[in-house]
Amino acid sequence: MSQPTLYADRAEWSDVVPIEQYESTTPLAPIFYKNEYKDATNYFRGIAKTGEKSQRVLELTEHLIRLNPAHYTAWQYRYETLLAIGSNFEDELRLMDELAITHLKTYQVWHHRRLLMLKICKPARELDFIAKTFKVDAKNYHTWSYRQWILAYFNDNELWSGELDFVEDLLYADIRNNSAWHHRFFTVFQSGVHDGEEDRERVLKRELIYVKQSISLVPNNASAWNYLRGLLEHNSIPYSRVITFIQPYTLSMDEQTADLVDLDNPPPSKGAHLPCALAIEFLADIYEAEGGDSMLNATELWKSLGNEYDVARKKYWEYRIREGLRAIQT
Amino acid sequence: MSGIPPATSEHFYLPPLARAAHAGHVKRCLLGLPDSQVDLDSGRMAIAFYCLGSLDLLKMLQDKTSQTDRESWKEWIWEQQTCGKYGSGFRPSPFMASSMPSEGTRYTDYDTPHIIMTYTALLTLAILRDDFSRLEKQGILLLLKACQRKDGSFSTIPGSGETDLRTLYCAFVISHLLNDWSGVDVDRALFFIASCRSYEGGYGQSPYCEANGGTTYIAMAAIRLAPSNSNPLSLSEIRKTIDWAVHKQHRSGGFCGRTNKIADACYCFWIGASLKILGAGNLVDSRSLASFLASCQFKFGGIAKAPGEHPDPYHTYLSLAALSMFPPPQYDNDTNSSTWAFESLDPLINARGETADWARSHIAIQG
Repeated sequence: MSQPTLYADRAEWSDVVPIEQYESTTPLAPIFYKNEYKDATNYFRGIAKTGEKSQRVLELTEHLIRLNPAHYTAWQYRYETLLAIGSNFEDELRLMDELAITHLKTYQVWHHRRLLMLKICKPARELDFIAKTFKVDAKNYHTWSYRQWILAYFNDNELWSGELDFVEDLLYADIRNNSAWHHRFFTVFQSGVHDGEEDRERVLKRELIYVKQSISLVPNNASAWNYLRGLLEHNSIPYSRVITFIQPYTLSMDEQTADLVDLDNPPPSKGAHLPCALAIEFLADIYEAEGGDSMLNATELWKSLGNEYDVARKKYWEYRIREGLRAIQT
Repeated sequence: MSGIPPATSEHFYLPPLARAAHAGHVKRCLLGLPDSQVDLDSGRMAIAFYCLGSLDLLKMLQDKTSQTDRESWKEWIWEQQTCGKYGSGFRPSPFMASSMPSEGTRYTDYDTPHIIMTYTALLTLAILRDDFSRLEKQGILLLLKACQRKDGSFSTIPGSGETDLRTLYCAFVISHLLNDWSGVDVDRALFFIASCRSYEGGYGQSPYCEANGGTTYIAMAAIRLAPSNSNPLSLSEIRKTIDWAVHKQHRSGGFCGRTNKIADACYCFWIGASLKILGAGNLVDSRSLASFLASCQFKFGGIAKAPGEHPDPYHTYLSLAALSMFPPPQYDNDTNSSTWAFESLDPLINARGETADWARSHIAIQG
């Protein structure tokens, strides 16, 4: 592969005075820069000093960003240059489509995108773009955070209308994708009431069925149980409201008695690994909330978690038992 | 992961912690990083902190580095202190510097101090037992003020929109060490933290974001550092956060950062320290934690995020910091036991106890 021509050797850059990085004789954690980076940063420091904002600065900063996508000053200067010379932000966004996929985990890539979107104000295409990046990594924190920002900031009914289907597709691909579960919670409960979602009773019922069916399919999935807890708490519904649903999951396969199809309380699927520790924990929480004699039921369940079903967290279950017993005594 | 028996088995075996090799890894990084890590260029101060912090936790700083080196490293850090229209603080490195900073030179808009780097610079100087006589305390308070935004969060550098919970934590530690909170609006900041709380019981990096171990640590530490008298969290909220955090410890002993993700050495610190701050450190299974971190050791030194991965100073430091809070139980007949012994860590500012005391007593604004 041929080396790119250094700025130092390019006639069109000869008017810029490059500035070497100042470094003391015993630096901490110095980086052994390759020449290409050293040369590009020399010219970038030179440009930043004169304050030049021009087309060639866009080329230089793009080059630098490709070499080091975390160079936040290059991003900052690039954005100021785009503004100063009246660049087309949509062209910039298309360039970012490529850079975002290459540097999915770099904070600056997403920050720059937000700045562009604040100018362009066309959020719908962003949702499609993000969906594409999820094919590479469906749990990328920056990407999710960006999607949540797009939705909350532009907050337009059109934008929200596809979110539930979007989440369902992701959960269909990976039922344990906690980012998708979180996004569902955000969409349904934390971002206001969207078009078609005005009947909150119906929404609540739909969500309960959705999460119960998911648990029925794959009981050992903390994301789904957290969602169930979250939606009950958010709507001030006591956990005990779902006790009929929970109970079969706390028993072994042999102990299952459900023979009728109860749509409100879907039973564990045939191949489920039972009893499910997350269900036992949930049931214990119900007993704990009841207090009184039920606390003893709770402590029995915590004991079974510590000794058998969730041994890795033995210390935690012992702590819950101590706390529970203390609550009865006082 | 080969050859590691389940941590819960009766025959618990812990290989030695390769202390000298880990010291060797961070020392190599201190002396120079390959070009492939050029993306650390604008974060070198943090790397210096992880490297020197690792030596500090291992108590090998004196043995492995010379007095001359330590003195000149201090000088390098002080060279990053810079002042200008937004106040004073430390830059990540001289990556945008063209000349030696001298009296009277003021930074431009492209070479401003950075809040996260100011936090790591203060801790690193404390590790090197600097007397902080050159610290521009009033200027730092101005920088904090310039970086706090209307919603209570902090930007990393003045004027930038890059903001999340990490920077808020650093601003809090800086105020705590200065023993002066006049640079921050604490109530607004606490309000921002509360808006990052998720239904799962952990905290996301911004409002509406998924609960994550790193930002949950930051929320817990910041709340505890805040000078207000009452904890803004209710008892049931605290219990929920403890429950969320405890469930992040895997059967392997390692912690994952989010529900249903795989274990990563750094979360042994972030979530372990959250539990410690919440008074629930005893709920961590320290034996299996050590067993997981043992398996993350790289054969030529350094600790990686997971078994079989390459090590780096960040995961090395945070693993050692986790072990400083949760040393595995000692067994009389186990000759490897002593390699896992550490002094205690201050979980709030993330430094060895003695270093934290040094920082508090030398950085505080007097009077």
